[in-house]
Amino acid sequence: MKNGLVRRLTAAGVALAVGTALAACSGGTAASTGGDVKAGGYDGPKVTVTFWNGFTGGAGPQVLKKLVSEFNSSHKNIAISSVPMEWDDIAAKMPLAVKAGRGPDVTVVHGSDVATYAAQGLLLKADAIAKTLKMDESDFPSGLYENGSYQDAQYGLPWSVTPLGLYINKDVLKKAGLDEDTVPTTEAEYDEALAALRAKGVQGEWVDPYFFTGVMEFQSLLWQYGGELYNDDVSKATYNSDAGVKALNVMLDRIKQGDSPAKVAQDGDINALIAGKTAFNWNGIWQTSNTALQSKNWTAAAVPQIGTEKAVWSSSTDWAFVNNKGQDSNKTQAAGVFVQWMNEHSLAWAETGELPATNSVREDSSLVSKYPNLKPFLAELDYAHFETSAPGIPSADALLNTAVNEAILQKKSPQQALDDAAKKADLQLQQNKQQYGY
Amino acid sequence: MSDLVVERSALPQVAPARKPRGGRRTLTAYLFLAPFLLLFVVFVVVPAVYGIWISLHAWNPLLPVKPFIGLTNYLQLFTPGSLTSGDFWQSMGATAIFTVASVPFLVAVPLLLAVLLNQRLAGGSVFRAVFFAPYVLGVAVIGVMWRYLLDPQNGAVNAVLSFFGVQADIPWTVDVPWAWISLVGVTVWWISGFNTVILLAGLKGINAELYDAAAVDGAGAWRKFLSVTLPGLRPVMAFVTTTTILGSANMFGQSFLLTQGGPGTETRTVIMYIANLGLSQNQMGAASAMSYVLFLFLALISIVNFRLQSRRGD
Repeated sequence: MKNGLVRRLTAAGVALAVGTALAACSGGTAASTGGDVKAGGYDGPKVTVTFWNGFTGGAGPQVLKKLVSEFNSSHKNIAISSVPMEWDDIAAKMPLAVKAGRGPDVTVVHGSDVATYAAQGLLLKADAIAKTLKMDESDFPSGLYENGSYQDAQYGLPWSVTPLGLYINKDVLKKAGLDEDTVPTTEAEYDEALAALRAKGVQGEWVDPYFFTGVMEFQSLLWQYGGELYNDDVSKATYNSDAGVKALNVMLDRIKQGDSPAKVAQDGDINALIAGKTAFNWNGIWQTSNTALQSKNWTAAAVPQIGTEKAVWSSSTDWAFVNNKGQDSNKTQAAGVFVQWMNEHSLAWAETGELPATNSVREDSSLVSKYPNLKPFLAELDYAHFETSAPGIPSADALLNTAVNEAILQKKSPQQALDDAAKKADLQLQQNKQQYGY
Repeated sequence: MSDLVVERSALPQVAPARKPRGGRRTLTAYLFLAPFLLLFVVFVVVPAVYGIWISLHAWNPLLPVKPFIGLTNYLQLFTPGSLTSGDFWQSMGATAIFTVASVPFLVAVPLLLAVLLNQRLAGGSVFRAVFFAPYVLGVAVIGVMWRYLLDPQNGAVNAVLSFFGVQADIPWTVDVPWAWISLVGVTVWWISGFNTVILLAGLKGINAELYDAAAVDGAGAWRKFLSVTLPGLRPVMAFVTTTTILGSANMFGQSFLLTQGGPGTETRTVIMYIANLGLSQNQMGAASAMSYVLFLFLALISIVNFRLQSRRGD
């Protein structure tokens, strides 16, 4: 009798386990193409809208808290619950959370992730809400709005842009006998300044072999020499061109000529600038709100034009509405009201050291008067290149990070490093196309 | 309620005489094992079998269609020039380098410390606590801490070295071979305390009379170590060696935090690569296939290791 029970229980357990496995094998429900976010306001019952974001550092948390509480107090039937976490954590947690119906209702994601998330069925189409907001590509720096679209639908609404700039420690220039207010803008001027610093025993620009900031500088230089990361339909990597090799050689020459140590650690470049060991650093606009920098005599400028044309790397963030399993349309609707309100109040966002994506907000004269440090970055947006947008692209981008690291650490020649990465990237892009069917 | 009471009191009278005692005992044993067995089935057996199934597909958990591709994920690993083969075998190589470089130190250093601590010296327990202390820290803590200390330009280690007049721009976390030295050194500092405590317990278990007998036979300290200490430690050493090899082969956090797998991908261990491929890039199929290949290697090494230890035991 008891043995029978055990046997039955065991059988039931095995059946359950196998059943679970098989259910999971069947792949669950199909990723819906994602519904639409409807336009218009929200007048339904009171809802709490969960908002995941990666604004954990610098002034971000305070500014966001202020904006959210302002919104909450002026909207009786909507409560925004902001959940800040590291960008990497969002990328790691969100996809599976959404599939389980436990993701946020609205989020801010990196522009380079929008297409991937859209192809994975994680996002809702935002065309209608964009229409209500009267948003189109002419409202943003060239190329930015298109980056938030996938297969003729808009999924990401641009929120902020974060270009690279040239940071200068003016005291170091002064000590080397250079005019602290003369900013080098051309290759000749930049080389001259570096040579003058060298003559005084100062390593003028530390070159970092990591994504922050070596890869950003590399991409800026690649575009300056007329190169591109990928071809038009993102099926082939093209950075192993002459332009790519030239870009890497420019960076390597800094090391070979004695303008940089050979093996700089991550963030070693900005730390050296703050410590007064170097004069120049190509770094992101987010450093304008770096508290350690504020006690120094520093300035920021547009990156100099080393190559044949003006170009600079920029990242971006986008609003996106989330296609949770069983998503409550009331919450999505309310989230739309929130995004619209945030866009109308995005001027305040500049305090975080990020530029509002909307042209008209940046052109507002009070932006520059309130945040003078951001001024040099504004003009850069005319020629800024944003990250490539295609499903699965982060896997391919990571290969370039390895190549730049290998070349700057002189493990491989620039051509070899870029060729190896491009070859692998082509296979990766082929797999992406196959898997995501774009 | 009352039913239960009746049944319970009735049980011994109804069932006992007919059933052989052995059967009852087996049943009792199974009942005691059941909770663990359930956990084992749910969290080990099912995922292990399910993983084989996953490895036969182009399995992106976020996509509705997960095409069956047979052994393609495995064949790719053995096809030079494929997307995964180069990176996979390179990361296997990195894991092998780390294991071979770290295990001897992770066994020898604790053995030395244990023998020293086993002497009757004043403050022995203080030293034991000091050596064990790093082990209580998580990998995130030791990783971040040593990244600051070993920073080539701003780190304390190079600063101290330059104070003593040694060349002070050693790229501890940026370039090889220094990155390997850092990874092994940090791991030895971190884990040795644990192995020391285990070995120390083993030393305490060796009968003191054996040492006396050896002394009567005229054995010196070295001879005693070889002929009494080492044989006496054999079972404990087998445990320490096996867990240390497996631990080193599964190294992830130190590379992830200290060197980020660099320069290039030279210190990217196989667990780091598999985790990235499966969890960040959502290529669960390929990642599962790699896990099984890694599993085969580790199983093989464990079998060889056990064979060697048991032969010595005979």
